[in-house]
Amino acid sequence: MNDTHTPSETDSIIRRALLPLAHTSRRFYLFIAALVPLLVVWGYFVVYQTQLGHGIGGGGTKGAIWGIVVANIVHLIGISHVGIAISATVRIMNLERYKPLARIAEIVTLVSMTAAVMNIALDVGRIDRFLVNILLHGKIHGPFVWSCTVITWYVIGSSIYLYLAMRRDLCLAANMIPKRRWLYRILAIGYQDTPKVRERHERSVWWSAVIILPIMVSVHSVYGYVFGLQAGRPGWFNPILAPYFVLGAIVSGFSAMIIIAAIVRKTFPWKQFLPPRMFKGLGVFLGFVIWLYMYFLFSEILTGQYSPPEADNNVWSDILWGRFAILTWCALLGGLLIPFAALFIQGVTKRICSVALTVTAAVMCNIGLWCIRYLIVVPTFYHPHLPYRITPYVPTLEEGIVMGGTWVFAILFFSVLLKIVPVIELPEDTPIRTDSRFVLFPWITLPGRLKNLIIAGVTLFSVAMVVYGISTWQGDYAPLKWLTGIGLICIVPLLISVLIPREECARPPSFPRAHARQYMTSATPWHARAPRMVQDKIVASPQAGRPPP
Amino acid sequence: MPRWGMVIDLDRCTACQACTVACRAENNIPFAGPREAAMGRAIFWNELIVRLEGEHPYPEIRYLPRPCMHCDNSPCSKVCPVNATSRDDEGIVGQIPSRCIGCRMCMCTCPYTARSFNWLEAEWPSPMEKQHNPDVAVREKGVVEKCLFCIHRIRRVKETAREEGREIRDEDVIKLTACCQTCPAGARVFGDLDDSESTVSKMARNRRAFSLLEELGTHPKVIYLRERT
Repeated sequence: MNDTHTPSETDSIIRRALLPLAHTSRRFYLFIAALVPLLVVWGYFVVYQTQLGHGIGGGGTKGAIWGIVVANIVHLIGISHVGIAISATVRIMNLERYKPLARIAEIVTLVSMTAAVMNIALDVGRIDRFLVNILLHGKIHGPFVWSCTVITWYVIGSSIYLYLAMRRDLCLAANMIPKRRWLYRILAIGYQDTPKVRERHERSVWWSAVIILPIMVSVHSVYGYVFGLQAGRPGWFNPILAPYFVLGAIVSGFSAMIIIAAIVRKTFPWKQFLPPRMFKGLGVFLGFVIWLYMYFLFSEILTGQYSPPEADNNVWSDILWGRFAILTWCALLGGLLIPFAALFIQGVTKRICSVALTVTAAVMCNIGLWCIRYLIVVPTFYHPHLPYRITPYVPTLEEGIVMGGTWVFAILFFSVLLKIVPVIELPEDTPIRTDSRFVLFPWITLPGRLKNLIIAGVTLFSVAMVVYGISTWQGDYAPLKWLTGIGLICIVPLLISVLIPREECARPPSFPRAHARQYMTSATPWHARAPRMVQDKIVASPQAGRPPP
Repeated sequence: MPRWGMVIDLDRCTACQACTVACRAENNIPFAGPREAAMGRAIFWNELIVRLEGEHPYPEIRYLPRPCMHCDNSPCSKVCPVNATSRDDEGIVGQIPSRCIGCRMCMCTCPYTARSFNWLEAEWPSPMEKQHNPDVAVREKGVVEKCLFCIHRIRRVKETAREEGREIRDEDVIKLTACCQTCPAGARVFGDLDDSESTVSKMARNRRAFSLLEELGTHPKVIYLRERT
């Protein structure tokens, strides 16, 4: 989108971008109705597993201690990373062409991270103790605690980032979609489109993007460490695993983004926002990261195969030439090499600009990456250091349902979010009415000094909580302390944007009684139209019969 | 402060598995049915590893009883997120089942695969539940468990010594654990590795002594004596 649109064109763009919010077709309800029974089956198996134990699924002590659910966790976390990677890069580098993709990417991040956390909770043996014990007894030396810390940081940070980046559009949606005005008025929390507020808002979103990028890298690095720091597992104990996982996250995430963008492009009239050129650009980048990933993979395979230690050698021989060979070569050729070749040819040939080709390559790559995650997790269990008799691992139906149900949940969550929040970033030049009718919390304005004091106080307190938590890491409640600090740090950009100094406020500073009527009229039209008591008599409201504003 | 350790003389071991049976009875280790056992879910705190060495026509079968190694540099206690497993001052790598969240990180990281997960609710075919040892709690489903060097027996010996107003003697502990007590060949000896006069310490200094997977640097406190050739 560029700034040369006429007002009517801009209006048409906004209406098209907000179409999922304004209009819900029967197809959507049918789609949701189809997903709900699957979710019920999933819920049944989750309860079944919680009641009976993890024995209903696959796995064994002398077999695969971790199975497909863990492979799925790694995959989902990988997907979640690129959401913010695209969105933050677009914002930091100001890549206008990819801007419509940014919001979709942020939502994908939120959805896949939620699904991943859900899978972690379903994979641990005691779902009832999982979060409580981590918060109360978590120890700083455990990679699992690192992962909980960075995931919490990432989920809170990326949600706030998503919200801040979306706030202006929520306000616009309140203007444009009368039937859901009440919702967007709540969600926009008093946004007003004055130049100064807008500038501050943009700045805090930009800084959030800068801060969130390293957190994103840290989350997947930590997942590399969960595997890479385990000396007892041949094939895992490897310093390359952290960067390798980050790169894998980018590959799987970009491929997932291409697929999701293609689906929403097909579902909604958004061809203008997501043109084939954008897909070609994404394809070129995906091809480049696949190439980098293959380089990492080659280094890992060479190290594993070239010389002893025998244990690592055995694992890699099994992966490449043994019982996992078919899966491995299908994943390497079908998931990496062929998509790379297709994307490379498309990238270097000017004539070829095919959405179908890019999406096919992305689908193959994504499935291939899932298989590679499986090959990271499972084969090592076949080759323990001591000569035990190992039971071959075959994923069971129950495990498949527990894992697949998370995907159903993710699809459902994404679909619902599509219908609730504006997914396509709206043009910046769109005028927004921000009069008092569209403000939910006028009392959020406060003197500028007080605002600075609150922000400084929250920042100091949160840093102090993090330091306090880390310095008392040997005692109980340490993770609770540092996670509280981290959560509070994350809301600082929100406070900067939401709290408005009274001096800059575009609307009346106080909320006098005279305005209450006008406010209530717009906030709750049915209230304004309701009959009321005047001197013990019920009389019709002066607003009765008028159409809602 | 003692540093508890064990020496297993492979030259004496007859691979009778009495140690395994005694361990199961002492520590209320649940039975695994044929289906669960076939899926690799049987729980063993002490296990006999059978290894076939050499090729036809000179094959050789080696047996290796494997309790938890109670490593001085234990990888399992490092990765445990909730401190459900940790090494105490006397070197015993303990396990708190009621705190364990069942993430199985410790199982993945243990190079000896000495830890087991309760995949299902523990069951004892009747009347086996009547032989439960009241000194050891039964573990619930979804948590990890492991050999604890019969810590409840160590506590009992300590209390007795305190009551009698004396230090713990070598003869109090040499056959303290259920596996050591049961071993008919006297192949297993328990004791304080830091006491240079203790039997276990003397045996650990034997020329035949070795540790499992020494190259990993876990410093196990279970020391094996090689078979005499």
